[in-house]
Amino acid sequence: MTVDDGAADRPTACPRCRSTTVGVQATSPVPGVWTLFSCSTCLYTWRSTEPAENTDPDHYPEAFRLTPDQLATLPVAPTIPPLRAGDAPGGS
Amino acid sequence: MGPYADLRAFLDALDKHKQLLHITDRVALEPDVAAAACALTKLGESSPAIEFTDIGGYANARLVMNVHGSWPNHALALGLEPDASPREQFERFVEGYQRYPGELERVSDAPWQENVVDHDINLYELMPLFRLNRGDGAMFIDKPCVVSRDPDDPDNDDVENVGVYRLQVKGRNRLGIQTVPQHDIAIHLAHAEERGEDLPVAIALGNDPLITLMAATPMLYDQLEYRMAAAVQGHPYQVVRTSTGLDVPRGSEFVLEGRILARHREMEGPFGEFPGYYSGCHEYPVIEIDRVFHRTDPIFDAVYVGRPWTEIDYLQAMTTSAPIFVQLHEAFPEVTAVNALYTHGLVVIVSTGTRYGGFAKAIGMRLLTTSHGLGYATMVIVVDEDVDPFNLAQVMWAMSVKVNPASDVMILPNLSTNLLNPAGQPTGVIHKMIIDATTPVAPDVRGDYGEELDTPQTTDAWRARLATMIKELRG
Repeated sequence: MTVDDGAADRPTACPRCRSTTVGVQATSPVPGVWTLFSCSTCLYTWRSTEPAENTDPDHYPEAFRLTPDQLATLPVAPTIPPLRAGDAPGGS
Repeated sequence: MGPYADLRAFLDALDKHKQLLHITDRVALEPDVAAAACALTKLGESSPAIEFTDIGGYANARLVMNVHGSWPNHALALGLEPDASPREQFERFVEGYQRYPGELERVSDAPWQENVVDHDINLYELMPLFRLNRGDGAMFIDKPCVVSRDPDDPDNDDVENVGVYRLQVKGRNRLGIQTVPQHDIAIHLAHAEERGEDLPVAIALGNDPLITLMAATPMLYDQLEYRMAAAVQGHPYQVVRTSTGLDVPRGSEFVLEGRILARHREMEGPFGEFPGYYSGCHEYPVIEIDRVFHRTDPIFDAVYVGRPWTEIDYLQAMTTSAPIFVQLHEAFPEVTAVNALYTHGLVVIVSTGTRYGGFAKAIGMRLLTTSHGLGYATMVIVVDEDVDPFNLAQVMWAMSVKVNPASDVMILPNLSTNLLNPAGQPTGVIHKMIIDATTPVAPDVRGDYGEELDTPQTTDAWRARLATMIKELRG
């Protein structure tokens, strides 16, 4: 299996939405085997050792790519109900 | 056989019946794990479960898949012999289901309390999470038992809920959750959100095989899955109460305590889903995990979801058929069996005695108005009681000779269906079809049926004798 050298070669763009908001979520408990990245824009996550179609924007399948326009118009489920009268929001 | 105190006991039973493969060579989480699990589904209806014990990047992780993914494994989970037929498994499930309620037994300690992580939680390090299908938007936890209570009725155990809901791992201690409106947890969440409060949840992973089946069963809102598991296994079901008042199986490998954040939605998906298509992306609720408990050297259990049939179709097989049968049988005692194995019951076959002409069509219409029928059943095939609905050769014979399309096919326009049904037009609405494949009886005197063939005398005795001989022959 492929071994990478951790966060040193952090990708510059998200494979799915091509945003540059890429961070490291985890490295393998056995050091040096893989790094797990995530995109804070579309919440895509990927492991450095995955096939290129999951790690490389140019190889990411067309059908699964996302644009900022699509992210802004996603259906909400379930809908958020109205607050009951007298209840103050207490959640996060 | 059974009941199994935990996943480990069930894996031992699978081992004993040669229904567990051990992969001791090193594997990569992607694509090896999903590829192996997918390959198992292409090797027939007796595929074993599979355990990986050398996973790249982890010192001692253990990962199992396909635990429920064959008729022998499913039979063993129900406490039957591994060669039990699907019809026998259906009858065992229904028999246990109708014994509801069994006994819930609260105990104070559990093996999962051995290790606790309550700061710097990183799920990616704690468990071998992996991508299942290439278009999935992340790693998912797809075989959890998610436990919640109704914040408007918090002390009522009957409305506590245990359900299987897909969880997208979005960060070190952050999950997305799919709560379809038909699911019980959606009621709990709505009540919490009306109050402006987070909804406490406990997520149990790596569970005994029966509670996973119960959690996947669409039972009534005031039926508790633990009491149903106890009824089916004929033995009290043991749970441990968490600090947030939620009951969790004593035998779980991992327990995650957290909260669904009130009035918050966030991008989720896609995920390859049970109809054999990706789900698309939505704004779904979010869970923050506050504490993780786990057994020492915990076992992570996941289900492969692909184009049917895969393991998820076994998880949704009898768990779908039995509740539909029980509801139908209450209305019409002539109903003898329900086969809702196909894509979570989008196609359903029901066998019934016929009271009078036109009766079978009424059975089909009643099926469409059962709670599961409302959201799923799209095509209903009704066959006579002497046709085994789990035997497709018999069903196709009935379709071949007992259906006159001129009057035995009913199309009912614009009924409700599941949002995940890709044939809906618009999404969530679909025409439905009832095919009456029963023999017409008076006053419905269509066709020219005459006498039906039966079997020679003493065939049943010969069948028993020869079955024994064949078993001995094959050792």
